[in-house]
Amino acid sequence: MEAVKSTNLSKVYRSKETVEALKGVNITIEKGELFTLLGPNGAGKTTFLRIVSTQLLLTKGEAYVLGYNVTTQPEEVRKRIAVVPQDVQTYGNFTPWEYCYYFSLLRGIPKRRVPEKAENALRAVELWDLRNRTCATLSGGEKRRAIIASVLASEADVLMLDEPTSGLDAVARRNVWAVLRDMVEQGKTIVLTTHIMEEAEIVSDRLAIIHKGTVIAEGTPEQIKRLAKDRFRVVVEGNLENLGLTENNNHTVKFGSKHIIYVKDEDEAVKIVGQALKKGLKAETARVTLEDVFVGLVGGEMD
Amino acid sequence: MNLKALKDVLVITALKSVPDFKRNPLMIFVIGLISSLPLYFLVIFGGQLTYGLVGAMVSTASFIGINAAIQEMSWDRYAKIREMIVAMPVHPISYALGIALAPLILSLPCLIFFEGIAIWLGALTPLSLAWSVIPLILCWASLSSLGFLISTYMQKSSPYTLNNISNILGIGLGFIPPVYYPEEMLGNFSWISTIFPTSNAASLIRVYSGSLSLPLEMIIARWLILILSTAVFAVITVAKAKWREP
Repeated sequence: MEAVKSTNLSKVYRSKETVEALKGVNITIEKGELFTLLGPNGAGKTTFLRIVSTQLLLTKGEAYVLGYNVTTQPEEVRKRIAVVPQDVQTYGNFTPWEYCYYFSLLRGIPKRRVPEKAENALRAVELWDLRNRTCATLSGGEKRRAIIASVLASEADVLMLDEPTSGLDAVARRNVWAVLRDMVEQGKTIVLTTHIMEEAEIVSDRLAIIHKGTVIAEGTPEQIKRLAKDRFRVVVEGNLENLGLTENNNHTVKFGSKHIIYVKDEDEAVKIVGQALKKGLKAETARVTLEDVFVGLVGGEMD
Repeated sequence: MNLKALKDVLVITALKSVPDFKRNPLMIFVIGLISSLPLYFLVIFGGQLTYGLVGAMVSTASFIGINAAIQEMSWDRYAKIREMIVAMPVHPISYALGIALAPLILSLPCLIFFEGIAIWLGALTPLSLAWSVIPLILCWASLSSLGFLISTYMQKSSPYTLNNISNILGIGLGFIPPVYYPEEMLGNFSWISTIFPTSNAASLIRVYSGSLSLPLEMIIARWLILILSTAVFAVITVAKAKWREP
């Protein structure tokens, strides 16, 4: 059975103007995988997450969580999910311990088991030593981890996290990634939204790129990267005319004096690097990143 | 309502009151100070303190009722904590009741203090005290429901706007109608006191404390108005209490 499945899912917001946020989205997320929804701002990621987490009614189509229909069986869905919304804030007077304690009770976890669950969750996000400090005195990353701990302490099978690492520093972000992967190892299903490409590439088992309410690519990070017709990139610092290349080349992107040249294969990349080094320019080559593919897809430059 | 739903009411009540009380215990005095402020002027300018004490009790109950309902819900929505709770197996009525009960519990010391003073001054007898509790609870329930209705229908408004509305309503309903002063002061317009849950509750308490005499049919009518208005607000709130956004 799939953890999350949407069929032809559409959402139309009707206010002063009509906005079609999702257009017939079909996504299947298997149990025990970490699935990432990747997309630019306003792509429809949050709308998808809010529908499958029973916070928002869908307009057309169907969505299921662990076999339960989100429209007709929301109570069953809510017993099995836990959500961290985008930009969630904390109660300043709460401690991380209280977050885990009260939210676990609301999830129906028996009181005698709550302390153990809370301790495990707080240790997992490395907040155990700060468990009795109020959130008002914690850093932004620590507050976010307190919220994530409250979700981890739940016995939910499917965790839905909407940009959980946004605004965190690199170290805090990696701590969260480690926690998420641990949860997957323990058999949880995680649905994550992000616009941090590195995050999507490192933590995801599979991902879908959503753009303007439509899924434009889906697969493992490696599969997505293979969608690019140019598999390698060469970063050159200096004047490209010395190499016989022009900045108007379709596969070149310029950032000040730096240029990224996209090429089909490694041989071509190595050749350009060699030429550049001979001319005294700085140059290096690597495989294209998920970000390269993403920008190409949402910018319409890919095949 | 099943056992889990009742348990959730208690958990949300605790969640909304225990951490605040533990870290900010002075807040229980602040709640009472706002309501007792008019007593100071009553004493200074020779008003009837016994009327004022009834007013302080009623305005405490009404102020916390409407403010908690609007401010707590709008903050939870703004901070997106509500979204976390929506995705939990928690009934919206449990959430609303928990939010409403938390400040009532925090204001209990003040209410008990006001009632103690009223008994000491002879404004209430132990028997009339028992009768005074019912209008107080109805007034609190009525204004909490009104607050939930407002926050439900004004979901798109900013928390600042909603906070202002709750303060205006809280102060307006607590201080403008005959809550701190006898309804007789309004002369032919004394019927106005039946319109507002606050002044209606205050008049009923005065009836049982012996400071206001009304015909039996008027007393029954006032009870009915208070009970019906509470029931109507509560029924609409329950009917409109939906977790999911359309």
